[in-house]
Amino acid sequence: MESKTYVYLNGKVIGHIDNPQKFVAEVRAARRKGQISGEINIAHIEKLNSVNINTDRGRLRKPYIIVEGGKSKFTPELAERIKKKEINFSYLVRSGIIEYLDAEEEENALVAIDEASVTEKSTHLDFDLTSILGLSANLAPYAEHNAISRQAMSVNYMKQSEGLYATNFNQRFDSRTYVLFYPQAPLITTAPYEALDVKRHASGQNLVVALSTYYGYNMSDALVINKAAVDRGVGRSMFYKSYTDEERRYPGGQRDRFRMPPPTSEGYMGEHAYSKLSEDGIIEPEMAVDEGDVLIGKVAPPRFLEENIGASGLEERTRDDSVVLKPGENGVVDSILFTETPGATRTVKVRIRSIRIPEKGDKFASRHGQKGVVALIANPEDMPFTASGIVPDILLNPLSIPSRLTFGHLLEEIAGKASAVSGNKFDGTAFTESGRDRLSQYGEVLKSHGFDDNGNEVLYDGITGRPFKASIFTGITYYYRLYHMVSNKMQVRSRGKVQILTHQPTEGKARQGALRFGEMERDALIGYGASLLLKERMLDQSDKTTVLICRQCGGMGYYDHIKRTQICPLCGNSSLAEVEISYAFKVLLDEIRSMHIMPRVKLKE
Amino acid sequence: MANTVNTSSKYIVDYGEPVGMIAAQSLGEPGTQMILRAFHFAGIESTIATSGLPRIVELVDARKKPETPITYVYLEGEYAKNINKAEVVLKKISEVKMSSVVRRVLENFSKGIIKLVLDTQALKANDLTPGQLSQKVAKKLDAATKVDSDGNILIKLKTKKLTEVRSISVKLMKDVVHGVEGAGKAMLQKDTKSGEFYIIAAGSNTEGIIGIEGVDKSRIYTNDVFAMYRQFGIEAARNTLVRELVTTLKEQKIRVDPRHLMIIADAMTYSGFIKGVGRHGLSGQKQSVFAKAAYEETVKHLVNAAAFSEIDNMRGVTENILVGKQIPIGTGSVHLAIKKEDMQKVKPESKHKK
Repeated sequence: MESKTYVYLNGKVIGHIDNPQKFVAEVRAARRKGQISGEINIAHIEKLNSVNINTDRGRLRKPYIIVEGGKSKFTPELAERIKKKEINFSYLVRSGIIEYLDAEEEENALVAIDEASVTEKSTHLDFDLTSILGLSANLAPYAEHNAISRQAMSVNYMKQSEGLYATNFNQRFDSRTYVLFYPQAPLITTAPYEALDVKRHASGQNLVVALSTYYGYNMSDALVINKAAVDRGVGRSMFYKSYTDEERRYPGGQRDRFRMPPPTSEGYMGEHAYSKLSEDGIIEPEMAVDEGDVLIGKVAPPRFLEENIGASGLEERTRDDSVVLKPGENGVVDSILFTETPGATRTVKVRIRSIRIPEKGDKFASRHGQKGVVALIANPEDMPFTASGIVPDILLNPLSIPSRLTFGHLLEEIAGKASAVSGNKFDGTAFTESGRDRLSQYGEVLKSHGFDDNGNEVLYDGITGRPFKASIFTGITYYYRLYHMVSNKMQVRSRGKVQILTHQPTEGKARQGALRFGEMERDALIGYGASLLLKERMLDQSDKTTVLICRQCGGMGYYDHIKRTQICPLCGNSSLAEVEISYAFKVLLDEIRSMHIMPRVKLKE
Repeated sequence: MANTVNTSSKYIVDYGEPVGMIAAQSLGEPGTQMILRAFHFAGIESTIATSGLPRIVELVDARKKPETPITYVYLEGEYAKNINKAEVVLKKISEVKMSSVVRRVLENFSKGIIKLVLDTQALKANDLTPGQLSQKVAKKLDAATKVDSDGNILIKLKTKKLTEVRSISVKLMKDVVHGVEGAGKAMLQKDTKSGEFYIIAAGSNTEGIIGIEGVDKSRIYTNDVFAMYRQFGIEAARNTLVRELVTTLKEQKIRVDPRHLMIIADAMTYSGFIKGVGRHGLSGQKQSVFAKAAYEETVKHLVNAAAFSEIDNMRGVTENILVGKQIPIGTGSVHLAIKKEDMQKVKPESKHKK
């Protein structure tokens, strides 16, 4: 039939060949010898009778050990030399022992998952089963016992965790960071975790967790945490936030100046706002600050140049452009940095610090995609306790496990317990051991220390003192404290700022805004038939204004304060009606009028 | 009996109830849960038809042609019971294109001749002879045709231009040689309950199908709302809309009270022809200038209103919210019959006094 096989280079036909197998083998051999670039991938797709060569960017590639004739090219001698640090990884790549395959070339490969399963047909050998997962996903233990979706979430939570992100955090002026007070290395780690030495920058704590309900306070992903644990420092962290400002230069030789703004300056906020500033106009370290306090006093030239600038120009007119602590924030001035940018503008950075003690509404997560929000900080005397008097740090609702298939969480909990009682760390690297073997191993450790081998424990009700009928699964789990905290997010408003254009309330926390009563909420009220409630939301609590409408011509009039009469500028009529409309509608009428269309409002008395 | 009347009267919609809004929400919210283009279960009927959200959108937008038209043709008397007779009707309906009876097309551009190599088996299956086909082609193209000794059709065209010959031959392949044009491929089905035979066609040319002998004219049904409208009128179109909406939602196991769907279908058809819900249909034909401007194409509506000096009577919902008035729906739809001031003029009647 058709004997010619087309060859595609990056998706474009460049020619045809007769013997694709031979051609592909030749290209691969040349690549392994280093005669052509190792970044070239070639694949023979039999179904389409084509040979695809890819050299373009953006292909995901994975390294494999080459297998030839049923034998891995990575010999024990090479392993020995690597141990002695005589050779490294890139040497292996260069010498044709390891090669990178892209998605298309992988279709031609038969990869053995370990040395033992290499056969005559195998073309490649994978390094380790952990390479199925990525770097971050490999840091969580018992990944093979969790649903993959949960594992993906766990990676996300790791990125949101607080810890020791850098040892020089004291010298840095990051715009916002958190540092955990007492980070701990996890009891259960994985091989990649140890290899990367992540524990030197640990970002969580080993907590005693009991899978128990507590008066409904831990329903649907809520957490109950022990007040004594919080007092001892569980989840306690420092929040750093930096404010920056610079002396900007303007065309015309004017520039900003760091100083105490004079009371004559435009937008002066009153004496008390500047009371914490020192003489140079910048706040002192270790000063306690609250919302509305000025951190950096700065004056700027006025925004608009006035005409009589020469006449009254003896005193320089200024505008207050100070940096103020944002609403809802407080803390202590931690450090101040003076510097100069290359453009010779002076720059000041002020770092504020405040302690973040876990409170109701703060977020925690384990390494298995199990997140939760603190709903109750329970008094330790009211919490369940074990026979030996241990009170759990966290009460996790048992219903959070079965539907999410995060059995790794349970395995970590029991392994953590075994680790704590025996003083040995256990390894939780994925795919290294069967779950059954692990469970029996931890069970034996627990048993030899006088605990139940299933990790269950008889708990006593802290309020009545009676033992619970069911024994409760208790153990130690590594928990992250995530940086989503209520204190940074909560906001209230009953009245406040409005937008200039529409007179409607502002939006967003930064602007002290309101919550939008949107289109769908509007539809809900219409559907309910609550016409007066709808009017209250859309008008009375939003942008209600009173305008004067001319009874004759239907145009908009105004109140003349000098003549003390209402007047319609169009027809001179002074018989106007006061009408309540939304300011947005007034703006609409104005805009229509600006398009040379005359809208007339006809009134019914 | 009295009890039944009482209970049912409790469920009568009150005056001023915003039924349209509730209907829209009742269809809109489950719409968010629907799977886009779900996979179907095995079976002939549902495998062809569009379903899920695309189908709902198609119905509500009042598209002129559905993506997958289907016609259910029921048969009369003997035809419904006898499979041989039913198959006769099937053959009359099922659309056969030229391309399915022709094996190869050979074009001779220099002489302006097209040679059709016929698929004899396919011809036989459709009760056609080369002679009939050749006559049909001759009529269609107004050209001299001839059946040669091998049973192939030779067409002598008047033109010799390459592009014209090619375009004629391409068009020729799409010609319907047998069956009803636009009826699509038809299949014979047997109703498992009543045991009668009926036909499913993947087209919606009800006008063509209805004239065929043996077809039960009163029971023919298609999911093409416009075809139903042309054939049976607006009431049928409205019922088709409701039926299609209900079945589409049922397929996805979404429960919506059919009365909401009836409201939507009524709103789409009350004017005597089918209107979509969007900009070109219901929303675009609102009375109020402001309501139209608030929905889509703001400037166009305002300019038009100015050009024709339109008056907005402020009777709808959207325009009253815009202005900041109480909406004339629900609690806003009732008014005091007597003014407050006038109440004081009224003297209390002595009826209740003894």
